[in-house]
Amino acid sequence: MDEIEDLEIRLLLEALYQRYHYDFRHYARASVKRRLRQARQQLGYPSFSAMQDALFRDPIMLSRLLDFLTVQVSEMFRDPSYFRAIREKVTPHLRTYPSLKVWIAGCSTGEELYSFVILFREEGLEERTIFYATDINPTALDAAARGIYPIQRLKAFTENHQRSGGKSSLSDYYSTAYGGAVFDKSLRDRVVFSDHSLVTDAVFAEMQLISCRNVLIYFDRPLQDRAVGLFRDSLARKGFLGLGSKESLRFSTHGQAFADFDRDEKIYQKQEP
Amino acid sequence: MIASSASTTSINKRPLDPRTTLGLGLAILFFIVSGAIAYSNIRVLREDAAKIVHSHEVIVALGEVLSTVQDAETGQRGYLLTGDERYLEPYNNAVATVGKQIDALTALTRDNRDQQDRIVPLRRHVDAKLAELKSTLAVRESQGLQPALKIVTSDRGKAEMDAIRAELIDMRQEESSLRRQRVAEMADANRSAWISGLLSGALGIVLTLIVGFLIRRASIAAERRQWLQSGQLGLGSAMLGDPSTNVLGDNLLAFLVKFAGAQAGAVFAGDGALYRLVAAYGVAADAPIVEQFAFKEGLLGQVAAHREPTVLADIPDGYLTIGSGLGRDKPRHLVLFPAIVDDVTQGVVELGFLHPVDDMVLEFLKEASASIGTALRSARYRAELQDLLEETQRQAEELQVQSEELRVSNEELEEQGRALKESQVRLEQQQVELEQTNSQLEEQALQLENQRDDLAKSSAAIALKARELEQASRYKSDFLANMSHELRTPLNSLLILSKLLADNPTGNLSQEQVRYATTIQSSGNDLLALINDILDLSKIEAGHLEVRPETVTLKRLANDLEQLFRPVASERGLAFDITIAPDCPPSLETDRQRLEQILKNLLSNAMKFTETGGVGLAVSMAGPDRIALSVTDTGIGITEEQQQSIFEAFRQADGTISRKYGGTGLGLSISRELARLLGATIALESQPGQGSRFTLTLPLVYDPAQVSPRAEPAIPTPPPSPLARRDAAAPARRPKRRLADDRDALTGAQRILLVVEDDDSFAGIVRDLSHEMGFQCLLAGTAEEALEIARRYRPNAVVLDVGLPDQSGLAVLDRLKRDDDTRHIPIHVVSANYQTQTALSLGAIGYLVKPVKREELAGALDALTAKMAPASRRVLIVEDDPVQRAAVGKLLASGDVETVGVSTAAECLERLRTETFDCMVLDLSLPDASGFTLLETLSQEGHHAFPPVIVYTGHDLSVADEQRLRRYSDSIIVKGARSPERLLDEVSLFLHQVVKELPPEQQSMIQKARNRDAILEGRRILVVEDDVRNVYSLTSILEPRGATVEIARNGQEALDALERSTQDGATAIDLVLMDVMMPVMDGLTATRAIRQNSHWRKLPIIALTAKAMPDDQERCIEAGANDYMAKPLDVDKLLSLVRVWMPR
Repeated sequence: MDEIEDLEIRLLLEALYQRYHYDFRHYARASVKRRLRQARQQLGYPSFSAMQDALFRDPIMLSRLLDFLTVQVSEMFRDPSYFRAIREKVTPHLRTYPSLKVWIAGCSTGEELYSFVILFREEGLEERTIFYATDINPTALDAAARGIYPIQRLKAFTENHQRSGGKSSLSDYYSTAYGGAVFDKSLRDRVVFSDHSLVTDAVFAEMQLISCRNVLIYFDRPLQDRAVGLFRDSLARKGFLGLGSKESLRFSTHGQAFADFDRDEKIYQKQEP
Repeated sequence: MIASSASTTSINKRPLDPRTTLGLGLAILFFIVSGAIAYSNIRVLREDAAKIVHSHEVIVALGEVLSTVQDAETGQRGYLLTGDERYLEPYNNAVATVGKQIDALTALTRDNRDQQDRIVPLRRHVDAKLAELKSTLAVRESQGLQPALKIVTSDRGKAEMDAIRAELIDMRQEESSLRRQRVAEMADANRSAWISGLLSGALGIVLTLIVGFLIRRASIAAERRQWLQSGQLGLGSAMLGDPSTNVLGDNLLAFLVKFAGAQAGAVFAGDGALYRLVAAYGVAADAPIVEQFAFKEGLLGQVAAHREPTVLADIPDGYLTIGSGLGRDKPRHLVLFPAIVDDVTQGVVELGFLHPVDDMVLEFLKEASASIGTALRSARYRAELQDLLEETQRQAEELQVQSEELRVSNEELEEQGRALKESQVRLEQQQVELEQTNSQLEEQALQLENQRDDLAKSSAAIALKARELEQASRYKSDFLANMSHELRTPLNSLLILSKLLADNPTGNLSQEQVRYATTIQSSGNDLLALINDILDLSKIEAGHLEVRPETVTLKRLANDLEQLFRPVASERGLAFDITIAPDCPPSLETDRQRLEQILKNLLSNAMKFTETGGVGLAVSMAGPDRIALSVTDTGIGITEEQQQSIFEAFRQADGTISRKYGGTGLGLSISRELARLLGATIALESQPGQGSRFTLTLPLVYDPAQVSPRAEPAIPTPPPSPLARRDAAAPARRPKRRLADDRDALTGAQRILLVVEDDDSFAGIVRDLSHEMGFQCLLAGTAEEALEIARRYRPNAVVLDVGLPDQSGLAVLDRLKRDDDTRHIPIHVVSANYQTQTALSLGAIGYLVKPVKREELAGALDALTAKMAPASRRVLIVEDDPVQRAAVGKLLASGDVETVGVSTAAECLERLRTETFDCMVLDLSLPDASGFTLLETLSQEGHHAFPPVIVYTGHDLSVADEQRLRRYSDSIIVKGARSPERLLDEVSLFLHQVVKELPPEQQSMIQKARNRDAILEGRRILVVEDDVRNVYSLTSILEPRGATVEIARNGQEALDALERSTQDGATAIDLVLMDVMMPVMDGLTATRAIRQNSHWRKLPIIALTAKAMPDDQERCIEAGANDYMAKPLDVDKLLSLVRVWMPR
């Protein structure tokens, strides 16, 4: 039974790739399996084959499935110590560049992006920076571009912001109305939203800072290597790469291209070869 | 009676309509009252009738009493008359009854005191009468008739009788009047009974009508309530279950539209701030429908804000449009109503009707508002709850994945630990093995060392020999040069004195003695000519001869030659003519003296070797910028073998010639060398016995760059154009490198020397010497090969010969110094010519003139080594503030870095002119010029070495400034807390940047870049791209091919650039390369915008994207791009795409 399920999942992922060019074939298998099981239960399909059938015929199915497959979990200034390290250790280096490019890879619904923009504004770097916010899920990108979050989440956001060494009040950046907090439009002035896949797509600009947190954990090893290679090629000399707290470049084939910059916060700096 | 539907319990419990109740109560009251009235009327009537009967009875009783009394009197009288007892019967009867009758009368009139009062006297009178009668009777019986009559005639009886009668009449009258009165009363009662009957009838009808109306109304209300209730019920069932907001909206609309009789509808749900369309019904698919609206925004928002339903009769455009298979229509009436719960508008429902909206429908909608609101709210809550649940699940998922990741990492760590342990064991083993082999190797190394020593010794011996040879040759030149000077000095006095002797001014010499003196003088002149020739030649060989270009008029030149040679020709009986072709320019720019020297030499040779016939000089054009001067003779001619050698010094066509014709035989060598210095060539055509033609071809304008190195003897063919010569000569001269170098054996550990030299023997010498000095050596025979090797292998140093077959070595030097990747490489120039200043100004570190001595070469290699050794790394700091300058100097200076600080641009230029630096740190604000100007000057002028520049500035730079700087500098640092660190990084990067592999595509790109492309020549291409790296790589692909590249950093700038270019026809854009992912406006949007303008509809656009999906291509094409290309860019593909789409 398990064997059949595995086969079905493989076929479903293949179908997803062949039909819509979303490539989840090299995502960590155990996790994909769990999420697809969840999707099957919640969407009410008897089997993965039935889901595959629906996927071919019903375009809505794609976005539903994407929502399950891409894990959108984030909050603003998540892991405040990470943002504190960016603020205190990385920005002094970034300040020496006349213009900056920052890539939030896998920006999900935008919480991390807004955290960076606010941090850069507080540090007086926003004016010279272009932020690239990319994700493979168009629904999540739309949400990121809207910048509206339920008001009950704002409490945690504000706490994180303060703990990350925030120099202003988070409430300066949003306005609330009827249960939602809308982030200031001007925060998006210097942001480019684009769907971009770390699995299939290529380098698009030279970055001084790339933040890609809790994305690599969903990839299998070869895919992680591809993504890290992409980051390496995208980074300027001595550029910075920030990863999630449980991610590491230690075993990556491109690991030697990076030096530890802040070991605890998983911030790496590109080394000269 | 009211609620006919007994099934609804609520109706039974519902109190009656108060108006209906009141009506009903009134009706009941009315009937009770009218009944009571009727009853009292009847009773009055009956009482009246009874009273009348009573009065009648009284009257009858009164009559009876009278008749009874009269009976009694009648009986008395009969008895009295007759005494017959029979007649006493009526009397007896009367006596018996009269009492009763009076009693009865008394009873009858008990209610009437007047009558009662009258009865008492009546009874007395009756009793008295009866007593009188009795007494009469008794008298009659006893006394007979007379006494009795006497009594009777006493009239007592009559009086009594009259009294009775009077009494009775009174009573009767009383009763009669009573009866009359009662009859009248009865008539009254009767009338009032009638009236009240009629009235109550009328009232009854009115009441019935009222009650009927009320009941009808109540039943209508009940029906309505029933409709509403069924509506609520239906609504309830439509909202049953846990549907999502959208499904809820659909169900809701389906029900509402059907139930309310609407034709179309829409439901918007929200949380009080923003409302989104969740369902639409009966709306035309392509009709514009509001997708969302904010609180108070528009009519819908107002409804949400005011919480009051709104009915619209006149529908503005843009509202609901009803659509069906047959067509579409606008609803004539529109109802907008909010769904409110707890004072918050949860949603707004919009319904469109073709008919006016019933009040009942409105009421229903009003009632439904709360339940719809509740349903919408709970749907929203459910969705939020679901979201929260999913969020939790996702968080759990992430945690799980993270822990898996950790576990995997852990496993890998363990694995690595194990592997480490294993490899440690292996290493230990290897170490033992290595130790063993090491000792073996040591032995071998010893042997090799011995061999190497031997080799070195022999090669040193060989080198010594070569050096000696070189020296000997040089000694010869020096000797000759010196000797000619030394020889001329004594010769001078010899000539003057012999001339004095020959002139014989004192006349004391014999004829014979004068002839001797003349012979001494002419021999001295010959000797002087020879010495001059030798001097010229050695001067030329030693490079001491300077060329002084001036304007030479052809006509004057011809005249001078004519004057000079005409006498000689006529003396020898030869024809001599000079012709100038008409297309020749009047003058040329060259060294007049040298040109005349060559022509004189050729002409005097021609005269010398021609016995009969004539000598001619013909001037004609040889190509667009060259002129040919041909000297023709009809002399002895030169055989083909001799043609090879006659230009060589000290060799003549024939050893005997000199003796026969005189002359040194150096003339042609000198001519050839002079011609070379003028950038000219001498060609020879000759047939023995037929004559010869020497053709001097020289440029119209003297150009030092065209001066070819001194090398080969002229090839005796007609002179082809210099360009063709270069092409033709290169392969012919050196088709293939024959010497082996180290390119296949590069260790990477040793320094690499590139030797650019077309002379194999010299190249071999340099190679061997470089090996001795610890270099690995690469050899290049041509300029192109040199450039390619320099880029591919990144040599540490270059020894460059200036005379290369395909290009001047100086061009190679220039190109190496202009390339960012190679300009740090120290280059030593070797040449047969003196071009020291040019070479040094182009950035060479030193200069050697051929022939080169071994020590000099070794010295040059030492200089190169020194240049690349760490000790000599030099950084130029251009900074006006002394404190800053010192600080940066201190920061950068270390054991192997020397820093030089300057404070002005002028100083900087001066330093760069005279010294070389590996790197330059530039502050943008300088007292005498801005950093921008300085950089521009450096890039334009070739006289300065242009090291890699690091811009170190305290100002924030504008985007335009940065773009401008990027042309000259890779690295711009804004001063700040961390800038010293980065400065140190960048500087050390430049100083140590020796091996940086170029990607292969870039290499081939550079190779191809040399060919300009006819299709791209002069075209303007707009590159829309925000990434600096890509902009410059695209520019470096396109510009060398002749295209002009304009740059826009985003879609908006692209549109602006296009707008500008349309205004001016000369700068019209021919093609656009459009990146997709850009800030401000992305490529797809920009492409669409371009396509919207009719001017640019046909403008070719090629989209460049980092995305790999096929749909991306479709999106590009859909947006209006002509073609698409995925990054990373393939140069060939890009060029072919550009060529395909470039309009012709």
